[in-house]
Amino acid sequence: MSIRFQLLIVALTTLVLPWAGCQYASELETALRASQENALEASADTIAHALSAQPGRVFRDADDIEPFAQEHGDLYVFPLHGPPLLDGYREDWDLPVEPAPLPTATGYPARLQAGYTERYLFLYLEVDDPHFVAEPADVHPERDRFDRVDLTLQTPDGSLEFYFFATGAPGLIEAQTLVKGDGGADRTAEEPRIQAFWLQTSRGYHLEVRLPSSMVGARLWIEARNAGGDRSAGFAADETLRGGRLFMRTPRLDELLATFIRPGTRATVIDANALKLGVAGTLASSAAAEDTAAAGTWYRRFMTVDTSDWPLQASFPDRSEGRSVTAALAGHPAAEWLRTGGSSDLVLAAAAPILIGDQTRGAVVLEQAGNELLALRDQALTHLFNLTLLATVLAVSCAFGLATLISMRIGRLSAAADSAVGSDGRIRLDMPESHRADEIGGLSRAFERLLARLNEHTQYLRTLGGKLAHELRTPLTIVRSSLDNLESEGLRADQRSYVTRAREGVLRLQSILNALGAAARVEESIKQAERVNFDLNALLHSAVGGYRDAFPAARIALDTPPDACFMRGAPDLIAQLLDKLIENAVDFCPPAGTITVRLARSAGSYELAVINDGAPIPIAMLERLFESLFEHRQGRDEKPHFGLGLYIVRLIAEFHEGTARAANRPDAGGAMFAVTLPMI
Amino acid sequence: MKKHIAIVEDEPALRENYAAALARHGYGVKTYGNRKVAMQAFSTHLPDLAIIDISLEDEAEGGFDLCRDLRALSAELPIIFLTARDSELDAVSGLRLGADDFLTKDVSLPHLAARVAALFRRIDALRRPDHASDVVRRGALSIDGEKMQTTWNGTPVTLSLTEFWIVHALARHPGHVKNRQQLMDAANVVLDDNTITSHIKRVRRKFLEIDASFDAIQTVYGMGYRWVE
Repeated sequence: MSIRFQLLIVALTTLVLPWAGCQYASELETALRASQENALEASADTIAHALSAQPGRVFRDADDIEPFAQEHGDLYVFPLHGPPLLDGYREDWDLPVEPAPLPTATGYPARLQAGYTERYLFLYLEVDDPHFVAEPADVHPERDRFDRVDLTLQTPDGSLEFYFFATGAPGLIEAQTLVKGDGGADRTAEEPRIQAFWLQTSRGYHLEVRLPSSMVGARLWIEARNAGGDRSAGFAADETLRGGRLFMRTPRLDELLATFIRPGTRATVIDANALKLGVAGTLASSAAAEDTAAAGTWYRRFMTVDTSDWPLQASFPDRSEGRSVTAALAGHPAAEWLRTGGSSDLVLAAAAPILIGDQTRGAVVLEQAGNELLALRDQALTHLFNLTLLATVLAVSCAFGLATLISMRIGRLSAAADSAVGSDGRIRLDMPESHRADEIGGLSRAFERLLARLNEHTQYLRTLGGKLAHELRTPLTIVRSSLDNLESEGLRADQRSYVTRAREGVLRLQSILNALGAAARVEESIKQAERVNFDLNALLHSAVGGYRDAFPAARIALDTPPDACFMRGAPDLIAQLLDKLIENAVDFCPPAGTITVRLARSAGSYELAVINDGAPIPIAMLERLFESLFEHRQGRDEKPHFGLGLYIVRLIAEFHEGTARAANRPDAGGAMFAVTLPMI
Repeated sequence: MKKHIAIVEDEPALRENYAAALARHGYGVKTYGNRKVAMQAFSTHLPDLAIIDISLEDEAEGGFDLCRDLRALSAELPIIFLTARDSELDAVSGLRLGADDFLTKDVSLPHLAARVAALFRRIDALRRPDHASDVVRRGALSIDGEKMQTTWNGTPVTLSLTEFWIVHALARHPGHVKNRQQLMDAANVVLDDNTITSHIKRVRRKFLEIDASFDAIQTVYGMGYRWVE
C-alpha cells in the first residue's frame, strides 16, 4: 500500500467529525424534544385547568357523565363545513368517516351518520333493502305496510315528537307525522320543516334528512323498518328515554379555545369518551421549513433518531386517540410524538385531563408541528455538516497532497538509489533531497554516506589489483632471484626438480600479478595514449591473422566491409581491446565453434562485434559484464580471471567515445560482445 | 681488471641476491641501502656500473636524484634502473636522466648479468674507437653491435640497452615479423605485452625526433613488429 493511500485512509478518519456532529445533534434534538414536550404539556395543563373552572362552557350538559354508548343509540354529530345538498348522497358532507352501522336484532343492515351546520341537523341513513315497498297514496300508517324510517325527537322543552319518512316515489320528501283525526282516526300530516331526500339504489335506499336544530333537544332516535314489519334497525324511543343522546361540539367552545392557543398549535377538547367537543387552530406547516427539511434530507440518513416506529397520528373527525389521550383521560398529563400519515412530518401531541371535582371529565389535547424542530435540527446539521465536511475535505486533500509530495520525494530518492550504481559500475555520490532538513533528507544523506563508503570500497577494490601486483613484485623478485642464485650454485638433479617446481610456481604467481595489474596498466596507458588516424579494417585483418596463429584450435571468421574504415584513436589500445574480446570468446567458444569478428558501419559509427558460438549469457549478467571485477565464469581454469578483461574493453571503448555492450545471439546459440567506435 | 658494480637497493634480500649473482660472474659488488650512503661512497670512489632502485627507503624518487647526481659526476658511467615500478612515466623519466637501461624487477638474474656484461662490453668497445665492429646497415640505419650505438642518417639515436636490442633484433631481418616473445628474448627481458608496446613507442619517438618521416617499424597487429626499409 503506497504512503499516499495510507495517509488518505488516515485522513479519512476525520469523517468521524461529521459523525460526532450527528451524534451531538441528535442528542441536542432529544433534549429539545423533551423540553418541547414539557412546554406543550404545561400549556395543555394550563388550558385544562382554565376549562375545568367553567364546565358549562365546555360541556353541553355538564351533569351528564354517562359514557357514550353507540349500542344504545348515542350518536355523534359531525360538524359540517357547509349545508349539504339534499340529494341522497353524502359525498358533499365531506367527512372522512363512513356511516356507522345501526344495531339490528333482525338482520336489517342500515348505516347512519349525523352532521350539523349552524342551523340544521342532518341525518344520513343507508338501508340495504332491495325490495322497495312504496307508501300508498292514502296511507294508514297503523295498518299499511311499507318501507319507512321512524324518527323520534326530544324537543328542547323535553317532549317527544314522532315523525316518519316514507314515500310513494323516491325524491325530495317531507317528514310525516301522525295527527289525531277528527274522527279519532289517525291521518298523516307533512311536516315541512323536516325535509328529506329518498334515493332508491340497487341495494336499497338512502335517506338524507335535514331538520332545524331548534327542533332538536338532547336526544334523537331513528329506526328503519321494512315493509313486512319483521325487520328493523336502530332505536325507537322508549319510556326510559335511554340512548339516543346527541354528542356534538360544544357551541362557542372553539372560540374560547382559540383564545388559549398560539398560532401553529391545534387545541382539541375531548370529553371523557374522547369525543371532540371543540377544536381550534391549525398545525403550522411552514413552507420555509419544508424547504430546509427537503434540502437537508440527505443528511438525515446519518441521523440515529429513527422515527419510523413512532405511532401514526390518528385523525378522526369525531374523536381523538393515542397514548397521550388515553393517559390524560386516565388523569395523567402526557405527551407523545406522532407521525402524520403520508409525509414524514412530525407532530407533538400533549394531553392534559380536565378535572371537575375529582373526576376526569375530558381532556385538552394540544398538537404542535414538530417540523420546526426538524428544521432547526436540519439547519444546525447542515451547518455542522458543511463545516466538518469542509474540514474533512481540507484535511484529506492536505494529507493527500503531503503524501503525494512525500511519495514523489521518496520515489525520486528510490529511483536515484536504484541508478546510483550505474551499469558501468560507477557510483554516483550525490542524491536528491539531501539538502532537506527532514527525515527524507536524512535518509538521502545516509544514502550519500553509504554510497561514499561503497565508492571508497569500490575504488579500493579497483586499485587493489594494481597495488597487489606492485606490492607483491618485490617479494616475488626476491624468491625468483634466490632461485636464480640457487641454480647458479649448482644443484643435484633431485634438488633441481624442486627448484624447477618453485620456478613454475613463481611464474604462475607472476602471471596472476600481471592479470591483476592489467586494468591499472591499461588505465595508465590510456592516460598516455595518442590518437592517430588509422584503418580499423586493416587492423582487424592483421590482428585476426595473428589470432588464427595464436589460437590454432579456434575458427575465427572475419566479416568486414570491403573498403578501408578509418577512425581516430589509439590502434594499440584497439588491438588490446580486440585481444580481450577474442580471449573472452575463445574461452566461451566450444571446440568446434566459430568466432566471428564483424565490423559494420552504422549511423556515424562502427560496430565492432565479436560473436562466439556457445552458451548464452544469463540475462541478469548482461548489464554487469563490463563492470570492474565482475566475473561470471564458473569452474576453474588454468588461467586466473579477475573480471578485468571486459572492463578493459569498456575502458578502451570509452576512451574512443564509444560504448561496449553484451548481448545474446537471437538464436540463443552464443553471445555477442560489441563496441561502437566513432567514424571520422 | 675486476669491474666494480654498485647496487643501490633498499630491499636487503634482493640486494644480497643481486650482489651474489653478480659476484658469481666475477664482479666486485658493493651494496648500499639508501641514497645518502651510496652518494657518500660514490663521491670518494666511482663504481664501474651502478644498479639503482628508484624508491630508496623513505625517498620515493631517491633513485632519480641519485642518477642525476651520479651522471653529474661521470657522463660515461653505465647506470641501470632496476625497479618494481613499471609505469611508462618512470621509464621515460629514468632514461631521460641518462640511465642506460630501465629494468623492472621481473628481470631474471642471468638476464641482468647479460645486460651488465653488455654494458661493460660497450664501454670497452667505445674505448677502442677504431676497432672494426659488427655494424648492421639498413638504409639510413646503422647499428654498431659492439658499441651498441645506433645512428639514423648519421645522427646518433640514444637508445637504452633494451631498446637497442629490440631495434637490433628487428633490423637484422628486415621484413620479418618479430613477435613480442622474440623481441623479449632478444632484449634479455621478460616483459608483458604492454611494456613491449611502450618500448616500441619510445623507440619510434626517438627516431621521429631525428627524422619526422621515420616509418621503419611497423606494427603487425596480433603478431608483432617488423622493420621495413
